[in-house]
Amino acid sequence: MTTVETHACTDRMIIDQWHPLAALEETEPGVVHQVMLLEEQVSFAVTGSGVPSAWLSDLSATGPVGRQRIDARSVPDPLPVMARYGYLWTSLGSPPDELFEIPEYYEPDRRNLNAATIGLHVSAPRAVENFLDMGHFPFVHTDILGVEPHTEVVEYDVEIAPDTNEIWATKCFFYQPVAAASSESGQMSEYVYRVPHPYCVFLYKSCPSDETRMDVIGLLVRSVTATQIEASMLVSIVDPHSSIPAIRRFQQTVFGQDKPILENQSPKRLPLDPRAETPIRADKVAIVYRRWLSSLGVTYGVIPAEM
Amino acid sequence: MSPDPFTCWHPIASTPDLPERHVFHGQLLGRELAVWRADDGFVNVWENRCLHRGVRLSIGINDGRELKCQYHGWRYSNRTAGCTYIPAHPADAPARTICNRTFPAVERYGLIWSGEDPTGDPPAVAVLDRGTPFGLRNLPVNAPPELVLERLAQYRFEPNGRLHYDDGEDVSVSVCHRDDWSVTLASSQGGSTTTAVFFVQPVDSGRAVIRGVLDETPGEDRRLIVLHHHNTGLIQLRDDIEAEAARLPTPEPMVASIDRVSVELAEIPEAPAGRQASLRVRVARKWEAADQIAGFELESIGAELPTYQPGSHIDVHLPNGLIRQYSLTNEPGRGETYRIGVKLEPDSRGGSRCLHEVVREGDVLAISEPRNNFPLRRDSLCTVLVAGGIGITPLLAMAQTLQKDGLGYELHYFAQSEQHMAFGDVLERLRPSLVAHLGLSPDETARALAEILAHRGDASHVYTCGPAPMLETTRRIAAEAGWPDHTVHFEYFKNTTEIDDSSSFQISLSRSALTLGVAGGQTILAVLRQNGVPMPSSCEQGACGTCEVAVLEGEPDHQDVYLNDSEKERGDRIMTCVSRAKSDRLVLDI
Amino acid sequence: MIKLYDYVLSVNCYKQRLMMSILDVSYQSIPVDFYPGWEHKSKEFKKINPLGHIPVIDDDGYVLRDAHAILVYLAAKYDPTGRWYPVSDSELIGETAQWMLFAEGTTNTASAARLHVNLGYDFDIGACRESAHRLFRVLDDHLWFREQQGRNWVCSGEHPTVADIAIFPDVILSEEGGISRLDYPALRRWTDRVKRIGGFTTMPGIFPAGPARRGRSGNAGPIPD
Repeated sequence: MTTVETHACTDRMIIDQWHPLAALEETEPGVVHQVMLLEEQVSFAVTGSGVPSAWLSDLSATGPVGRQRIDARSVPDPLPVMARYGYLWTSLGSPPDELFEIPEYYEPDRRNLNAATIGLHVSAPRAVENFLDMGHFPFVHTDILGVEPHTEVVEYDVEIAPDTNEIWATKCFFYQPVAAASSESGQMSEYVYRVPHPYCVFLYKSCPSDETRMDVIGLLVRSVTATQIEASMLVSIVDPHSSIPAIRRFQQTVFGQDKPILENQSPKRLPLDPRAETPIRADKVAIVYRRWLSSLGVTYGVIPAEM
Repeated sequence: MSPDPFTCWHPIASTPDLPERHVFHGQLLGRELAVWRADDGFVNVWENRCLHRGVRLSIGINDGRELKCQYHGWRYSNRTAGCTYIPAHPADAPARTICNRTFPAVERYGLIWSGEDPTGDPPAVAVLDRGTPFGLRNLPVNAPPELVLERLAQYRFEPNGRLHYDDGEDVSVSVCHRDDWSVTLASSQGGSTTTAVFFVQPVDSGRAVIRGVLDETPGEDRRLIVLHHHNTGLIQLRDDIEAEAARLPTPEPMVASIDRVSVELAEIPEAPAGRQASLRVRVARKWEAADQIAGFELESIGAELPTYQPGSHIDVHLPNGLIRQYSLTNEPGRGETYRIGVKLEPDSRGGSRCLHEVVREGDVLAISEPRNNFPLRRDSLCTVLVAGGIGITPLLAMAQTLQKDGLGYELHYFAQSEQHMAFGDVLERLRPSLVAHLGLSPDETARALAEILAHRGDASHVYTCGPAPMLETTRRIAAEAGWPDHTVHFEYFKNTTEIDDSSSFQISLSRSALTLGVAGGQTILAVLRQNGVPMPSSCEQGACGTCEVAVLEGEPDHQDVYLNDSEKERGDRIMTCVSRAKSDRLVLDI
Repeated sequence: MIKLYDYVLSVNCYKQRLMMSILDVSYQSIPVDFYPGWEHKSKEFKKINPLGHIPVIDDDGYVLRDAHAILVYLAAKYDPTGRWYPVSDSELIGETAQWMLFAEGTTNTASAARLHVNLGYDFDIGACRESAHRLFRVLDDHLWFREQQGRNWVCSGEHPTVADIAIFPDVILSEEGGISRLDYPALRRWTDRVKRIGGFTTMPGIFPAGPARRGRSGNAGPIPD
C-alpha cells in the first residue's frame, strides 16, 4: 500500500470511484499506454494473455514504457484495476468491490462496442447533464433525434432507487423524426435514463428491431482535469444488420453535435447552487442529478452550493 | 489615480461589426458580451450566457426580433432581453422575470459604447464632434490596456492629405490629449493636419482593443490608402507592444461575476402580485385603426417596456378610474412600444368611451406589466387563428410571430365589412395567410366555422378570440369536428354569464393552514386579500385566468369563461374572482 | 455516381460534402472507420490511397485523393458557370491557388489542434494554436479590407471560390481545438456569409445560420444560389 497519498484532486468521493481508462479493444497488448486521470498521469497495460495492470506514472524515472513485456507483479505500486464492459477501469483510492451492473451487456446477441473516446473542454458533470437532456434534441440533433417545431418535453418521472442510490428517469417521451424514407411522420420515442456513478450515465431506448428489448447507450467520462474530459460511448445494442462503421458514425455524429454546446457552456464546472441557472420542468432529472451530487459531497468538476 | 473602469463607458464594437442578423462576440473587463442589432436598429448588449444552462449567446441566432439560443431554442426579446418562448413547454408563457442581463449601448463616432455600470454619458470628443469621424480597423492586442495606451502615444502617422507624398518633409506628430482610456494625436505635414483619437478598450487585464477614429473622412479615392496606412502602422505598433508584454509577467485574467437568478426562478413558482399599475406610458400615437376602432401606440417613459409574448394583455388604468384589459397587437421584439386596439362599445360603461373620446396623443396612462393567459404554442406545423371583430388584437401578435418563425397558419378574420377590419398595415403583411369573412349572419358564421374546422390538415391547434357567442359557437363546432379540448385555445373579452354569488362556504389554504369563510356577495379573491394573502388578478370577471388557483379538495362551482369544459370537469383549478364552491369547503393550494 | 470515402467528424471530408452539396452533385458516402478503427491505415484502404488518408473520391473509376485537390476537381468538373474555380481569369485563379495553399496552413494548425484535443493526436498543441492565431490574424485583416471594397469572399471576385470552401471548415471548428475567434470579428462575419450560401450543409460541430433578412442584402452582400 502507498503510505501518504497526495492527489491533485482532493475530492475523496471521486478519488474512490472506478474511472474508465480506455476501451480494451483499442489497447494494444504488451504496450504501456498513458492517460491523464484527475490531473495525474496513469500508465496501464494489458498482457498478451489479457491481464491488466495500472500504476501512477513515475515522471521522475524512466519506468517501463514502450513495447516491452509487462508483468503486473513487477509494478511496485499497482492501482486497482478491473476489466468491465469492454473498458479498463482504475481508481486512485479505495474503490467499491463492484462496478454498477449492466445485465444487458452479457446477453449473447448483443453488439457491444466503444463508439468513440473523445476529448472535450468541459467538466464531467456538464457532459452527464447534457446526456440526460431531451429538450435540446430538435436544436442540436436536428433531423436525427428531434426536429422543430416538435419541441415539447412532457412530464416524466424521476426517482432515486433506495437500494442502489442510482438516479432513474422513466416514462421520458420525445417526438423523433423517423429515419425511414417510407415514413412521412415522426413518432414518440421512449427513453429511460440512469445515473449509477457521478461521471457515468446510461440511456435505454427500445430496439427498433425488437420492441420487447432495450438498446443501451452509456457515456463513461474520465476527468482529465476538473474542466477537461475524455468521454467514451459504450454501445450495447440488439442490431444484427448495421455495420460497425455505421453504428459508430451515428453515435459520433450525435456526440460531435453536442461538443460545441458543451464547450460553449460557462462556467465549465457544473454549478450546484439552484440559483446559478434557471431550471424548468423539463430539467427535473438535471435538478435531481445536481442535488444528488451535492448529497454525495462531490466537489470535483462542480461549483458546490454555498451552505 | 484612474477612476473605476467599471463605471466608465468603453467602446466594445464598431458599427460595421453589427451587420443585420449577426451576433458579435465581445468582451469588456473580463466579461463576455453578445452584441446584436435588431431589425429596428436597436443595439443589444447582453451578458454572453443563456440563463438556462449557461451557453454562449454569441453562437445563437439573431432573427431580427429575438435572439435564439442554440441549445434549447429559448428566445429572448430585442430591447428587454426578456425570455419570450421556452420550446420545451410550448403551452406555457415564460415567467416574465426570466430576463438576461443587459448593458447600456450608445452609438457614437461609429463605435458602440457600453460598460458594466457606466455613469453619465459616453465621452464627447470635441475634435470628432466638429469633424467628419472616420473609423479605422480595430486592432486587438495581447497586452495590458495601460501599456497599450502608453505606447499609442508614440504612434506616428501621416495626415490624410499627404500620404505617400514622400518629399522628405518631416511629419510632426504631437499628443493633443490623453486621459484614462484614450489618446489624441495630431499629425501635420506641410499645411495638412489630421487628428486621430485612439480609444483603448480594456478587454481583460492582459488584452485590449485599439479603436481609432480620425477627425476627417478622406475622399473616396483615398479611403483605402488611409485605412491601409494606419492598419500597417498599428500592426507594427501592436507587434512591438506584444513583444514587450511577452517579457512582462502575465497578469491574472479578470473574473466577471455572474448574477444569481432570483429565488422564484430557481424554484419556478408563479410570482404573486395584486392588481397593479406599475408602468407609466405615454400615448405616442392614436389613430383610427378601423371604423369604431382606435389604435394606440404606447411608449415607455424612462426604462424599456417589459417583455411580452404573443397573446399577452395589459390592464389600462383609465383617467376615470376604470380598469380595462387590452391585448398587445405587436409581435415581441419589433419596436419599443406597445400597440393596442380599442373598439368603441355602444353600451360602453365608460372604458372604451374614455379611451376614444378623452385620451389623446401625449397623455400619460398607468398600465400593468403584461400578463399572458393566452400563450401561443410554437410547436405546430400549422395553427388556425379565428378572430371575431376586435378579437383580432391578440391574434395579430400571434400571426406575426408564426410568420417570422416560418410556421404555417391561417388567420380567419370575421368582421362586419372591410371598413371594420383593424390594423390594415399589419394585415397587408399577413396577406397570404389571411382569410376575411365579411358581413356574415350568425348562421353563416357557424357554417363558415364548420368548414374551417372540418379540414384540419396539418393544423393541430386553434386560437380564437372574439365576442362570447362566437367563441361558444367556435368551441362547440371544434368539439363536434373532433378537436380535443386542449387544442382549442380561446380568450374572452369579458364574462357575459350572470354571476350567482349567493352561496356561502369555507376555504382552507393548504400551505398556510388557514381556514376562511366566504359569505354570499363576497368573492374568494376578496376574502384572500382581506386576510393578507397576495393574489394576482386582472379582469376580475372570470375571463382572463390571472387569479387561477389549484383546488386540492372540494367541488368548485365554476362561473368563469376561462377554463374549458374538460378543465372544469376535472375540478382541480378555480378562478377565484367569480367561481365558488358547490361543496361546503374547498381546499386551495396556496 | 461519385463515391466519397468519408468520416463524419473529418474536416477534410466535410469540405467535399459541402462543395458537392452547394454544386448539387449527388454522391455516395462510404463510411470509413477512421476512429477508433483506424481503417484508413489498413492494408485494404492503402490500396485505394497508399498515403492512408481520407478523403478520397472515386468518380466513375477516376480516383483522386487530398482534400484541396478534390475541391479543385469537383468545381472544375461540376460547376458549369466556372465561378467556383475561375480558370478563365488569370488573376483570380492565381489568388485562388494562393488561398488554397493558405488553407493547407489552417488545416495543419487549427484542424491539427482539433485532432489533438478530440482524438489525442500527438501534436505540439501550443505551436499549433499559436500558428493558427497568426494565420487567423492575416485572414481577418484580409477579409476586413475585402468588406471595405464591397467584397464578401476570400478571393477578389464577386462570387465565392473553392478557397472559401477549403478554409471555412478549419476556421469554424477552431474552437474545438481551443482556438477562440473572439479577436477576429471580420472572420466571424465571413463564416455567417458562407453559411448563407445556397446549398450550404453542416457537419457535427457546426450550427446553421439564422435566416437572412428577406428582400435585403445588408452587409452580407448578394448570396449566390
